[in-house]
Amino acid sequence: MSNGARRGASVVALVIGLGLVVAPFAFQMFSRAPQGGDMIDDFEPYMSTEVIERFRGYLDTVDAADAQASDQLQPALADAGAVPAEDFDTTYVQVASLREQWPDVQADMTDLLDTMDRNLDNYDAVASLPPFPLFPWFFVIPGVLVAGAATWALLAGRRGRSTRPAAWVLVALGVGLVLAPVAFQMFSRAPQGGDMIEDFEPMMTRERVQRVQGYFITMGAAEGQLRNQALPALAAAEGATPEETAEAFPQITALSDVWPTIVTDFAPMVSTMSDNVDNFDAVASLPPFPLFPWFFLIPGLLVAGCGVVALTARPAEAGSDTTHDESAAPVTPTPAASDPEADAAPPEGSSP
Amino acid sequence: MTTRTRARRGLAVVAAALLLAAGCGDDEDEATESSQQDTATEEASGFEGELAGTFSIDPATCDAEGVRGSYFRMIQAGGTAEEGPFVPNTDSSCTDQTYNPLTGGSESGLVTGEFQAPPDPAFDAAGNGLATDIIEPVTFFAVQFAVATSDADGAATPTVTATSGELTGDLSAWTAYYSNLVFNQGAPKPDGSSPGLTAAVSGTIDADTGAYTLDWSSQIVGGAFNDFTGVWHLEGTFTPAG
Repeated sequence: MSNGARRGASVVALVIGLGLVVAPFAFQMFSRAPQGGDMIDDFEPYMSTEVIERFRGYLDTVDAADAQASDQLQPALADAGAVPAEDFDTTYVQVASLREQWPDVQADMTDLLDTMDRNLDNYDAVASLPPFPLFPWFFVIPGVLVAGAATWALLAGRRGRSTRPAAWVLVALGVGLVLAPVAFQMFSRAPQGGDMIEDFEPMMTRERVQRVQGYFITMGAAEGQLRNQALPALAAAEGATPEETAEAFPQITALSDVWPTIVTDFAPMVSTMSDNVDNFDAVASLPPFPLFPWFFLIPGLLVAGCGVVALTARPAEAGSDTTHDESAAPVTPTPAASDPEADAAPPEGSSP
Repeated sequence: MTTRTRARRGLAVVAAALLLAAGCGDDEDEATESSQQDTATEEASGFEGELAGTFSIDPATCDAEGVRGSYFRMIQAGGTAEEGPFVPNTDSSCTDQTYNPLTGGSESGLVTGEFQAPPDPAFDAAGNGLATDIIEPVTFFAVQFAVATSDADGAATPTVTATSGELTGDLSAWTAYYSNLVFNQGAPKPDGSSPGLTAAVSGTIDADTGAYTLDWSSQIVGGAFNDFTGVWHLEGTFTPAG
């Protein structure tokens, strides 16, 4: 292989190195990757089977209370002469509102929890990747090193010095780039991250978050009206104590008992969703996750290949001696080694 | 000296005496007026310029005629100040449960010129806010919210300024504590911005009695109630510090 090939390999390596340096800027990784890291951190408290089951339990509690309000409390109020059945919805507007909206609320919230549930493994895979804020540096640092080694090789060749050390560095960097995604299990984890991003997309929108905020109002207002108005009205009409009435409607009482806990659990979760809409958008704007390992593998193979080409190339003046080690070349540059034009048109027989 | 001359001199002395007396009388009147003006100025000066002291909070009364006194309302995301929709709090004692009555806390109300910081911790185990200096905590969806003035995010010390009976101010430090979450409810925001429905502090003060009203609204930025807006109305009496 000729000096021209050696130079060409170095130039290709230089271009790849510069490409690696430029890529994070082009994809705005320095701002977007940390946003991804923030999102992963913020969701951490909610991405467990235990937490998701607890939220499912809350939905069951609301569901049972809603059913008891319709099936038992409304007739009881009518029977006691407190509120005629036909006036229930206008007297307890918030309770009626929950009854009307609950099927949609329950379906939407269940879908949200299902989405989180089926992405638990994906989340763990993404969370096991190196910290997101480091991502751009995984491109910039190897890129600078590759570009530096390629420049070294070019300058050494131009001055007639040995290019083998620089070529070996290129080979090592290339192998490192190839091995990095393997070491970080990116070939399995990155696609899982992609799956999660795709699955979370309908969940992480302003409209969806605002809808979930509204559910909090719907559920909370109904709970308060049941606790503060409906049950006391029944107790007064029946001449019962509040405790007796509460015992008679255990599902509604259970909702009121657990509601403050629901608020303290529900509000931070909605907060996490709300505060990460922009972070999610930033992550979704990055190149597709499944491609990330290839962003290392392909440049790595190319750089390693360039290094190998640079190693195997022989200087023009050593064309007759295929076993000649370039490192043994004379210190004084030969015209062929020092003249770039000579590289472009090597004498016959210079290739091995 | 002739008798006529003596008489002229006598008249001149009497005239001078009268003029002197008259002159002295004018001075006394002026002094009295000046004294009255000074007193008036002193009274007015208590309610002019930057008012440092306590804006006590009169509790709200809710009846069929409406709501009087101090209250809080919350506009739902996407709503407007005029039309709402406002969040109904079924723990409110008002007939119109979109109004949440406020009652002055252990320091009677808002103290300007200093922060009324929240306790540490700011919440109990159930997520109820524990600050009690400004208002008594209010039950909102079964959990109590509390209010303090906090220097978080660089919020300025609360100030209210009176100009000819009109009030303006910087209550960027006004902060609500609810369900283990902290919401800035100031106007302007600590960074000086006024996002969304955030409206500057405005109000009136009676120069004679110190009776005041203060109104502002503050849109929540981020968190569980992102884009919801708190509407605050305080009424009571201003008492200067010291």
